[in-house]
Amino acid sequence: MIARDILEEAVINTIKKSSCHIPADVHAAFERAIQKERSEISKKAFQSTLKSLNLSIERESLACPDTGWPLFFWKIGNEAKVEGGILAIEDICKKMVVKATHEGYLRSTMKDPFTGDDPGGNVGMNVPAFTYKFVPGDWVQVTYVPKGGGSECFGGTRYRVVAFADGLAGIQKAVIDWYIAGARAGAICPPAVLGVGIGGTAEIATRLAKEAAVLRLVGSHHPEPRIARMEDELTAAINELGIGAMGLGGDTSVFAVNVEYSLTHLAGIAVAMSANCWVARRATTKIYADGRTQELENPNWFDGR
Amino acid sequence: MAEVHLHVPLRDEDIRQLTIGDMVYFSGPAWTCRSRLQRYVFDEGHPLPFSTAEKNLLIHVGPVIIQKGGKWTLVAFMPTSSIRFEKWGARSIREWGLKAIVGKTTMGKATAIAMKENTCVHCTPVGVTPQLYQDQIEVKDVYWLEELGSIEAAWQLELRRLGPFLVDMDCHGGNHFEALDAIIEENKKKAYRRLNIPEDFEYTKLY
Repeated sequence: MIARDILEEAVINTIKKSSCHIPADVHAAFERAIQKERSEISKKAFQSTLKSLNLSIERESLACPDTGWPLFFWKIGNEAKVEGGILAIEDICKKMVVKATHEGYLRSTMKDPFTGDDPGGNVGMNVPAFTYKFVPGDWVQVTYVPKGGGSECFGGTRYRVVAFADGLAGIQKAVIDWYIAGARAGAICPPAVLGVGIGGTAEIATRLAKEAAVLRLVGSHHPEPRIARMEDELTAAINELGIGAMGLGGDTSVFAVNVEYSLTHLAGIAVAMSANCWVARRATTKIYADGRTQELENPNWFDGR
Repeated sequence: MAEVHLHVPLRDEDIRQLTIGDMVYFSGPAWTCRSRLQRYVFDEGHPLPFSTAEKNLLIHVGPVIIQKGGKWTLVAFMPTSSIRFEKWGARSIREWGLKAIVGKTTMGKATAIAMKENTCVHCTPVGVTPQLYQDQIEVKDVYWLEELGSIEAAWQLELRRLGPFLVDMDCHGGNHFEALDAIIEENKKKAYRRLNIPEDFEYTKLY
């Protein structure tokens, strides 16, 4: 049985870490971009941002003031036992989001959509968001993603249906055109970690795109060679555009393109894009049945797909 | 690409010397706003409770500021997207006498016209660097904290060489991102070729 206080501590620590510590794969992507960059202004942007990110780790302070949407992704072991039952998980998460907000680890960013009023703790109607995967085992695993408003709202989230007649060209053109529009003047904070979801209903495609953007590591590949090839080709194509850091103009325009797919209806192919900002934040903690906790670099979200 | 250090209040001659691509640093007083403040002033008719004559630098930002031992302490600061304030951009420049706006991204056509007419520039951050700004800003005071909330209140700041910011819209009609659009449009052809997307590709209309 996993005790409530152990879960509470694991959740708050995961939230705090996600806000202050840039993941190692994203850190490495910054270093590679600095090596490669020929534009003076983009190089300066990569260097100063990495310097700030390193300071935020040292000072245990926000990597970016926009701590965005509170998104939880849980893996729940089929045999896992949690004090208070599985229902306790959402109650704990909500309380820890409020606590993290009051302690300054999250900005109070979630508002009433009609009045703009601020409930003050980032908790309210349908927020935070919870996604679950059920897995073999007696453990649970939490990933917290503070998903930035720029990458989510300013053209970084898109959806359309492409006819089978238009095929791969239609799918890839959508991604290129959307990315150019969203990255203009740095709106989505490029270079993004870009998720692309292909096939399924609208919500399957957009969910796959979001999870590919926020839960897969920079440098990872889909296990199917044809999809991995598409990821490499789209990455290379976007990096030819010259968008650069924060859209200022430069050589690295995207950190990664992660593609996930699902079967689709013969009527058409849903295509969705979800961008995560270059300060691509996430943190993961696995909580074992005996109460041990382990911080993980990789959420391994798509294991078994 | 010149590096320019400016002191607020900004004078017309300070602004006229700037062209797109210049890197600027600001010192002196400045204030903050987001859309809730602009709606409060321009749509709901509340007059700004302080003078902007000596404070003609506006920063689009929702800072995280907490009170520690009776003093305002800046927790995090990073300019936010200006483009969402386009609706009030021109009026802000005219009615508040702004000489410079700092914000992420850029602004639109109506604001560009107001910038030309009123000698004002827009400057965009170079990178996402809240930790580097931390030592360059002192929080002096705040207006409308109760009315608008902490993120959207009008914070009064004192800047010490805050920057660098890239001048992306100058007062001569120059626009860094419009110039870049043309380059990206050209590069798009290469990207299409790599992905075997015909240049004259048209989508089958499904709805």
